[in-house]
Amino acid sequence: MALQVYTASLLKEGLVAYLCLENGRPSWTFDISQATAGHDEELDALKLAAERSEQDNIVVAPYAIEVLETDSGIMATTKREQIRASGPTITLPQDKIRESRRAA
Amino acid sequence: MYQYSEQDHQLLLERVAQFRGQVERRVKGELSEEEFKHQRLRNGLYLQLHAYMLRVAIPYGLLSSDQMRTLAHIARKYDKGYGHFSTRQNIQYNWPKLEDVPDILDDLAKVEMHAIQTSGNCIRNTTSDPLAGVARDEIEDPRPYCELIRQWSTFHPEFNFLPRKFKIAVSGATQDRAAVAVHDIGLRLVRNDTGETGFEVHVGGGLGRTPMIGKVIRPFLPKQHMLTYLEAILRVYNMLGRRDNIYKARIKILVHETGEDNFREMVEAEWEKIKKGGLHLRDEDFEWIKKFFLDPEYEELSDRDGEFENLLLTNAEFARWVDKNIELHKQPGYRIVYLSLKTAHQPPGDVTADQMDAIADLADKYSLGQIRSTHRQNLVLSDVRLKDLPALWGELKALDLATPNYNHVTDIISCPGLDYCALATARSIPISQAITQRFDDYDFVNDLGDVSINISGCINACGHHHVANIGILGVNKKGVEVYQMTLGGSAREDAAIGKIIGPAFEADEIVDAVSDVLSVYLENREDPEETFLMTYRRLGDAPFKERLYG
Repeated sequence: MALQVYTASLLKEGLVAYLCLENGRPSWTFDISQATAGHDEELDALKLAAERSEQDNIVVAPYAIEVLETDSGIMATTKREQIRASGPTITLPQDKIRESRRAA
Repeated sequence: MYQYSEQDHQLLLERVAQFRGQVERRVKGELSEEEFKHQRLRNGLYLQLHAYMLRVAIPYGLLSSDQMRTLAHIARKYDKGYGHFSTRQNIQYNWPKLEDVPDILDDLAKVEMHAIQTSGNCIRNTTSDPLAGVARDEIEDPRPYCELIRQWSTFHPEFNFLPRKFKIAVSGATQDRAAVAVHDIGLRLVRNDTGETGFEVHVGGGLGRTPMIGKVIRPFLPKQHMLTYLEAILRVYNMLGRRDNIYKARIKILVHETGEDNFREMVEAEWEKIKKGGLHLRDEDFEWIKKFFLDPEYEELSDRDGEFENLLLTNAEFARWVDKNIELHKQPGYRIVYLSLKTAHQPPGDVTADQMDAIADLADKYSLGQIRSTHRQNLVLSDVRLKDLPALWGELKALDLATPNYNHVTDIISCPGLDYCALATARSIPISQAITQRFDDYDFVNDLGDVSINISGCINACGHHHVANIGILGVNKKGVEVYQMTLGGSAREDAAIGKIIGPAFEADEIVDAVSDVLSVYLENREDPEETFLMTYRRLGDAPFKERLYG
């Protein structure tokens, strides 16, 4: 089975988050490269922890995504998940205004 | 515009309080996501790709300057400093936090706005002509009818759990600027042989994976029967519309599968039972609602102005803007001004909080304090004095809202696509920006004339690609975003669904493909008066196919 991480939306913020599991203790990070990746049985533990976070109303609708380990860290394999991980690929309008002010 | 009654205000306050309680219970874990999801959707709150998205209703696209300022305040305080005007004349915020949403709804309620029925399988925001009440080709102002529909459909107990979402558009002019033919119900105000105005009733239009043009099931419906007839249509749909298959649940499928004549017979039979009931509109109902939409006290002005005409002759940039973004007004000495939300560096339909505040100020200064949103994702100042156009142009230019491209090739409709949307399969905004950058030469844009490009990031077609002269549909093919092109669509009175021209293009090919299609048009048109659509309809797709794939 391919290398995977668990992702979800944080309940209160709605923002994209990734599961970290250290010594059996779950936490959620915005940074996919900090996520705990696993294969096979490791995934079972991740799945359990993600579901527990959902029951504890920390996250909404967790699911596993395929990732690759690259020199710069973990990276999602699909375009959709890459965009979820790094945000819109366009310049946000307010950022654009700030940019033009900086340039001026 | 319509002013809320005490009852309206009370209704909104109670609704916000109810939702606040639901949010609190969700955060405490007293409501599961499954239970809460239906409640949040009833209040326009989606969970999208990156965050929650709140869709706020703008009834028939009409906003006061105070409402616009509140939208700016919400963008600034609770979001990332901008909002997105959608093809249904609403505004969407892409980054609100769940716990802030009740406060946002409270702020909206203070200016008579809300997010009710902007999602879910109910009757959505009724859309209309953005030039309602000021257009020269208008038969009758559609806004009073839109407001009656809004009041009838809000919290309508019978139609709160329809088989699928339901969209109504109303147009009152000879030109269709509300895309009535691609709505579940489209109402067009028409005159009969005796000069009486009533509605031509279109049913079963829609886009998505099964695009269809609505069928005229009644060529003339007297106005007093508007609500009884809508009720009859909705009842037939509610009883017979499919609930077993989400892809076959829209009324267009029911009309198609039942057959136009059978569907009409069922509606007429249902209507016979209720046409004299409580929804029959009386003269006093029309008199009451029309008081909210009376013409403002226009000044008696000349339709010529020296300073305006001088600038027109001496400033080419101003002349271009006037040529493209200004329409004649029914009142001499006034003009209608389109504020273009289409630049190469801002997603179509996006407006920053600063721009919103500035637009509200401009509306107060130059346009009787009102703004309209359009289904092509632009804004309109509807009542600008001719003599104020030079000053307004200067201020719009400074705000980057004066791109002279209304109804031209860079006036692109685009859904949020994969940059924001959980359903999307491909990005649409970067493609729209790439096309806009390619065709930034005004003379070329001007020479092309009236041509529409619409882009959707998935088959759900929120970018209305089916009804564009040149439609672009982004799909995911084996992990790669590719773009399928349709030609020959129209959302106007000659409504048509575009035809797929051939195999899809990769992202780095699609702008060249659009360029090729436009070149074929320019090479083949009989004269500059022949629009892209006219040329396409005369020649068919053969020369376009030949250039693209030959």
